[in-house]
Amino acid sequence: MEAIVRAKGLKKYYGKGEALVKALDGVDLEIERGKFTVIIGTSGSGKSTLLNMLGGLDAPSEGSIFIGEQELAHLNSEQATVFRRKQIGFIFQNYNLIPVLTVWENILFPITLDNRKPDRNYIMDIVQFLGLESKLDTLPNNLSGGQQQRVAIARALASKPSIILADEPTGNLDSRTSNDVVGLLKVTSRQFCQTIVMITHNPDIASSADRIIHIEDGRIVE
Amino acid sequence: MLQNNNLKICRKLVRRELQFHKGQCLLLVTAVTLVCMLYTFSFAMGSHVYDGFLYSYRLMYGSGSHIICYDLSTEQAALLESHNAVKDTVLLSPIGTLSDEMLGNRNVKLAEFSEKWARETDSVPLYGQAPAEEDEIALDEITLNSLLIPHEIGAEVFLTWVPEGGGEERAGVFRLCGWWKNNTGETDSCAWITKEAAEELGGGTPEHKTLGLTLYLPGDPERQAKDLFSDTGIQNITYTTNLAGNRARMAYAGGKAMEFYRLNLIVVLCGILMLYTILRLSDRRNIQFYAGVKALGMTPRQIRVLAVYRAAALCLPGLLPGWILGFSLCALLAPYVVVGLGANPALFFFRLWPFGLGALLTWLTVLTACLLPIRSVAKYTPAEAMRFTGGNTKIKTMRSMAGRSKTKNRGLRRTTIRRMAFTELSRHKGQSLLAALSLLLSLIILCCVWTKGVSYDEEKYLEGAALCDYRLSDPSAAADTQRYNPKSRSIAPEIPETLSGHPAVENIGIVCTMEVPMYAGAQERAPIIETFEETDERGVIRKEYMADAPDWIAGYEKMRESGEYIGIVTGVDKLALEKAVTQNIFIEGTFSEEDFDTGKYVIASGAASLLKTTPPAGTKVMICGREFEIMACVLFESSLASGADSRQAQFNVTYYVPIGVFEELFPEHGIRNVLIDIDRSRQDEFEAFLADTLRGTEIHITSVRDHQLNFRNALFRICMIPLFVGGVMLVIGTLNFTNVLMMGILVRKRDFAVYESLGMTKRQLGKLLLWEGLSCFGIMTGLLVPGVAAAVWLWGKWQLAHMNTWCVTWRFSLLPLWISLPVLLIIALAVPLYFMKFVTKESVTERLRSAE
Repeated sequence: MEAIVRAKGLKKYYGKGEALVKALDGVDLEIERGKFTVIIGTSGSGKSTLLNMLGGLDAPSEGSIFIGEQELAHLNSEQATVFRRKQIGFIFQNYNLIPVLTVWENILFPITLDNRKPDRNYIMDIVQFLGLESKLDTLPNNLSGGQQQRVAIARALASKPSIILADEPTGNLDSRTSNDVVGLLKVTSRQFCQTIVMITHNPDIASSADRIIHIEDGRIVE
Repeated sequence: MLQNNNLKICRKLVRRELQFHKGQCLLLVTAVTLVCMLYTFSFAMGSHVYDGFLYSYRLMYGSGSHIICYDLSTEQAALLESHNAVKDTVLLSPIGTLSDEMLGNRNVKLAEFSEKWARETDSVPLYGQAPAEEDEIALDEITLNSLLIPHEIGAEVFLTWVPEGGGEERAGVFRLCGWWKNNTGETDSCAWITKEAAEELGGGTPEHKTLGLTLYLPGDPERQAKDLFSDTGIQNITYTTNLAGNRARMAYAGGKAMEFYRLNLIVVLCGILMLYTILRLSDRRNIQFYAGVKALGMTPRQIRVLAVYRAAALCLPGLLPGWILGFSLCALLAPYVVVGLGANPALFFFRLWPFGLGALLTWLTVLTACLLPIRSVAKYTPAEAMRFTGGNTKIKTMRSMAGRSKTKNRGLRRTTIRRMAFTELSRHKGQSLLAALSLLLSLIILCCVWTKGVSYDEEKYLEGAALCDYRLSDPSAAADTQRYNPKSRSIAPEIPETLSGHPAVENIGIVCTMEVPMYAGAQERAPIIETFEETDERGVIRKEYMADAPDWIAGYEKMRESGEYIGIVTGVDKLALEKAVTQNIFIEGTFSEEDFDTGKYVIASGAASLLKTTPPAGTKVMICGREFEIMACVLFESSLASGADSRQAQFNVTYYVPIGVFEELFPEHGIRNVLIDIDRSRQDEFEAFLADTLRGTEIHITSVRDHQLNFRNALFRICMIPLFVGGVMLVIGTLNFTNVLMMGILVRKRDFAVYESLGMTKRQLGKLLLWEGLSCFGIMTGLLVPGVAAAVWLWGKWQLAHMNTWCVTWRFSLLPLWISLPVLLIIALAVPLYFMKFVTKESVTERLRSAE
């Protein structure tokens, strides 16, 4: 199977001397295209740091990351941003929806930033699939947590990224809604052929993944 | 592939953001309005000051033309008119110069009426009309008063004049058809007659032309005049250039305007600080917003454009009210800064550029304030920025978290509400410091200006600047350049008598003068000659200082050679005697009122210096055949008698005599001045009485109110700019202080929910917040009181050493500080209680959940 993400010798250190914190300490990783991968680990083990590195939201102290054939370190800030919005879809624990935009505008936001013409049929399929048709003109603050996370999923899928990175997308949701969201995420990723990397603390969710990466003290203990 | 950015989304985001946060948006637009108002005000005021100076120079020059050429032939005038540097011209065809000696040094041309010239020189008859009949004449008021011509249409006017180009003096009789009020500083004027009368009196078309030139480029008229004459081949021309075009004067006016333009530097800083302070109210929201959109793929360029659009959206609604307020403020204050114009300077010198420049700088200020939060987010990666959760405005990075392991162990102390309050204060150290510094700086400025303002002593000023509370002047001696006409009887003897009967009058005195030819023998004139022939400490022979006054030199040389000179016999009584003698500085001899009243003595006064410029005390002098002895020699008091004396009396010695003696010497005398001191608490009452008494006369009044107004205007001009700056900074400092208190509560919604969940009552929470407010106020007071007091004290010491102003009585005052402290205390108590209600509206569970 082809690897969509390749990380080699990934390190992220903060501070110096006695205060040195090794958030990531030499991570080598490959993630296959189309697979649903879950990252688990204790709090402070380096899960979010790894996910942020993979998504280009943070820069490693050492090591390299390839998304497809593109090495992230070779891009400047402007290029990295454009690359990220084209190739990577993010789903955040706190949804990160823009409160002043409607659900529809939020979903289209990364595409609009890119000045691309949205594939309306494709996006409408996602919207229908996620049950958001009646909420398109609503503002995020008027939605429940589960609904907001569905909007975040729709937004991540809308720009047809190569990979979707989800940082505890169910962290703020109750167990029923969490199961719904993960179910939707898995189904939509299969339906729309997306690769998903997700951080979770939920063992049920982890057990349903194609692959589980266990991280402790900044190292992978698979 | 890695370009293709959409900027339209930025516009949409800004529009939505403003719709969503209407409260903050309104606050920001108000701040923008204030900033725009300050810029518009300072630019408009600066330009009015500059224009006001140039206008006063133009008034001094007496014409709006850039260059005036005299004594031109018709051909020469035509050559100059056709030069391509000349935009417009005004032509005067004078037939002669009025020669009545009562006109003194004034230069009044008898000329054919030229409406264009009259408009250019503000000499269009305002009362009556321009001459239409051959025997009609229009004159200015100073000329009318000097020649004792009544201000009545049809009054007979007898004039003598010397024809242009020389010749015998001629005379003519005219009928007054109109007059105008002219600037008292002007020495040039016209006596308008008809074209027919000019041709008849001048013996044909006037040959000698005076041409006023308006240039396309007003700069450096002196150089342009030389170029004009060289281009046209005209030589040996007498010309003058407008004072308003003089480089040095323009530079001076520019310097005065710069005082206002400099205010903009403070406005830039204050404006950015003020807007940034308001933006900081939503610091957490801003950082999270920018971090969020950055994570979603908004490029740095798009974020910058977002800030630019945001600045534009905030700027546009604030411009119009800012312009209106700025201009209104300028219109309100300009009459106190640009004085003596009559019309409001803001309307008189209206210009558009202050509005344009004000708008541009407002836009740049708002843009800078909007870019600042972006700059702080730009330092962090999206991951770091998103980790920011509020409370402390610093973004929590792993780096800062790593550093926490070094935190000191503070020991096992019992937690009290007071201790919690103090601990909380340390979380906002940066912003608290900013608020404290802006408050400290503003209060130092305000207290220094206040101290300076209250230290200027109006009473001292009035004592020094005004000889007395009111001085009435004969109309022929109203202007400084106007020669007093002793034949004038405008101030009737009944007037001082009537005025002295008013209960507000404390003292009154009259001044009468008469020029008489006198003689000083060799012994008497020796000390005077010695003084003026001596070389002073700068190596200049003293008489050379008067080289620009040929009449003085002629008078002095005549006295030196023949002993003949002009004595100005000045009759004084009561208040006038007091001002002339008893309050004056004695150079020689002493004053005895008893002996002076015998009529055998005179007091001599020469130049306004402490040197001997009169015959010595004890000398016998003959005045109109009567012998007097000089009792004492005093410093010359120039403000005792208004107006000027004759050209022959430029060099003179003044002899003060009792008014009774003056009446004996000159029984047909007139009164030159009346001096009055009043009880100032009855000023309004007396002024009404004075206006009533002088109704229908042309008597000129110099009032203490003019001096009071001058003093207050000058004080206002000195204090206005720093007061303004200090006031704006105080507003910003207070806003920052409020912000510190407010932020300390708004970001702790979850903390309060936790406290409450752990058993803290609302009352205890209120107590905690009150303690925080009080502690914050206490720290501010502890910093402000000694800081401001020390700064004002040091500044005062420096001012005392360097401020060589005679009308200052040092008064140390911290009034602005004492006014500000209670306001800060009210804010410190009210803000926490108000915002506590705001953040504890929801239930504990709701708050805990929403904060997650």
